[in-house]
Amino acid sequence: MSPLHPEPGAPAVATRGLHKRYGRETALAGVDFLVPEGAVYVLVGANGAGKSTTFKVLMNLERPDAGTAEVFGVDAGRGGPRARAQIGYVPEHHGPGYRWMTCGQLLRHAAAYYPSWDAAYAEHLGRALGLKPHRRAGTLSKGENRRLQLVMAMAHRPPLLLLDEPTDGLDPVIRRRTLALLADHLADTPTTVVVSTHHVTEMETLADHVGVLREGRLVAQMPRDELQRTVRRYRAGVPDGWTAPPGLPQARRSRAGRELQWTLVGEPAELTARLTAAGAEVREVTTLGLEDAALAFLAEEDTV
Amino acid sequence: MTEWVLHSGARPGGVARAQIRAVGLALRGPAMVAGGVLVLATALAVADMRGSTGFNFHPERWMVPGLSGLLLPMAVWRGEERFGPGFLWTLPVDRRGHALAKVGAGWVWLMAAVALFVLWLLAVALASGGNVLGPETLRMIPPLPYPGDGGLNPAAITPTAWTPNPVLWLVPFTAATAMYLLSSALALATPHPFRWLAGVLLTFFLIAMVSDAADADGVAQIPEYLVSLLVGGRYGLESVLIASTETLKVETRLTTGEMAVVWRGLPDPAQWARSTLLWTALAAAALWAAASRHRETRRA
Repeated sequence: MSPLHPEPGAPAVATRGLHKRYGRETALAGVDFLVPEGAVYVLVGANGAGKSTTFKVLMNLERPDAGTAEVFGVDAGRGGPRARAQIGYVPEHHGPGYRWMTCGQLLRHAAAYYPSWDAAYAEHLGRALGLKPHRRAGTLSKGENRRLQLVMAMAHRPPLLLLDEPTDGLDPVIRRRTLALLADHLADTPTTVVVSTHHVTEMETLADHVGVLREGRLVAQMPRDELQRTVRRYRAGVPDGWTAPPGLPQARRSRAGRELQWTLVGEPAELTARLTAAGAEVREVTTLGLEDAALAFLAEEDTV
Repeated sequence: MTEWVLHSGARPGGVARAQIRAVGLALRGPAMVAGGVLVLATALAVADMRGSTGFNFHPERWMVPGLSGLLLPMAVWRGEERFGPGFLWTLPVDRRGHALAKVGAGWVWLMAAVALFVLWLLAVALASGGNVLGPETLRMIPPLPYPGDGGLNPAAITPTAWTPNPVLWLVPFTAATAMYLLSSALALATPHPFRWLAGVLLTFFLIAMVSDAADADGVAQIPEYLVSLLVGGRYGLESVLIASTETLKVETRLTTGEMAVVWRGLPDPAQWARSTLLWTALAAAALWAAASRHRETRRA
């Protein structure tokens, strides 16, 4: 059988106008998600922002109320099995499958579903993550379950990894090892990764794209370089009674003495000029780490 | 330059084998219990054989396979999140087909278990010197009228030679299949099959109770009539499960005061085949409809 290639130029993941409601709760409100092929895309958002729902829609585990979702050009709704064949999925909830099976049995079971399953690689991952093949899945701790899920997701070397809180429940040593394995995996295998995580700093060295979900809306989506170029911390001295110029992008503000500090989103030169024109003396513009930059989009209120 | 290659989906043969293995592992516990029961039953049968005339081989008269088929889906779907983002649905297989593959895997094990049970019956029959295929003499009575309170006149009994029809050996297999398909359909149709069953039973009970209190005999007879039609009717479950042998074979008191086992009619393979076809087709259609609840795409 000749190998299947993705549509030329098709992104790894693309959703258009994705809507999903659970009763009165809106989980997704018009999400246009775009993950380029080969990207390591970190999806950030508070609990209930819609990250896991997005993953479930891509797996066709949830049907959207409106909109489409594609994986390498394959419609996840119409071509669910074909889309899932491209995905290694670590779900948010713990429990990798059948509790009565041992880890080894579960891995053999999963292998039957993926013609590209690499048994030697599965063994390597299992060893590296300290999995015990004879342990029953039902007796595994939260962290051990996570490790088993990671092996099941990566061992068939899927073109797309959907990792929903992949390091949740892992101890610091295994967490570091997992990230190292993921880096090795990316070096060895052509893979696009979408990671949903609350620990953005962990992905600092790997991430090259960031998306921020807030209450079901994708409020930011950009390459990491652009994020770190456009989201910066500004420290400025201001005269008494100074009021911020109208239209200044909303961001976190803190006061230290007669200085104000903002995390602002926008072109640095333009923002500096606007602050200066408003009478503020911009003293420092600082580049932020990935997490702080992403969190700027989640800030709700000024903290004066 | 990195070459991006999309992965192909799961191979049907591999999925079928994986499901048979997985369901086999899920059934280990119930299988051990069933094995224990069979050993106990063997011991009891051996004890019973002493001084008896032998145990005739009649697999069509046993309810066990049908009941096993009815209960098996509970074990097959154990731990599977049927309604929700369960592990089964994350795998790269068409969801409806995958559900049916799991049902099929359970059926394979069911047939193996029924075959073992039938072989066990045969072994007990052979060991006890019972009849397997030879002619038997059945004590027949006319189907009507039913014996009154005074008992059955022995003169009404006609000894009749009857040779067991090997076609009826299929009854345990078909009964288990029909019941398994029905029960699997229920398991796939609703996340709470027991609540539905309890609801139906409660409704029947309430209708009977209310109509009884209201002295509405006609209404009160509806549940009773439905049950008798469903179970003992011409195409009822009894015909599917045991080729109607329970209805045909009755123990009754003779006018002499003795108890006797008599037959109102002979098992009719054609009647059994019709009932079985009907119920199996209904169950298969119900299963298809229930599995379709889990299909990949739904019409808007």
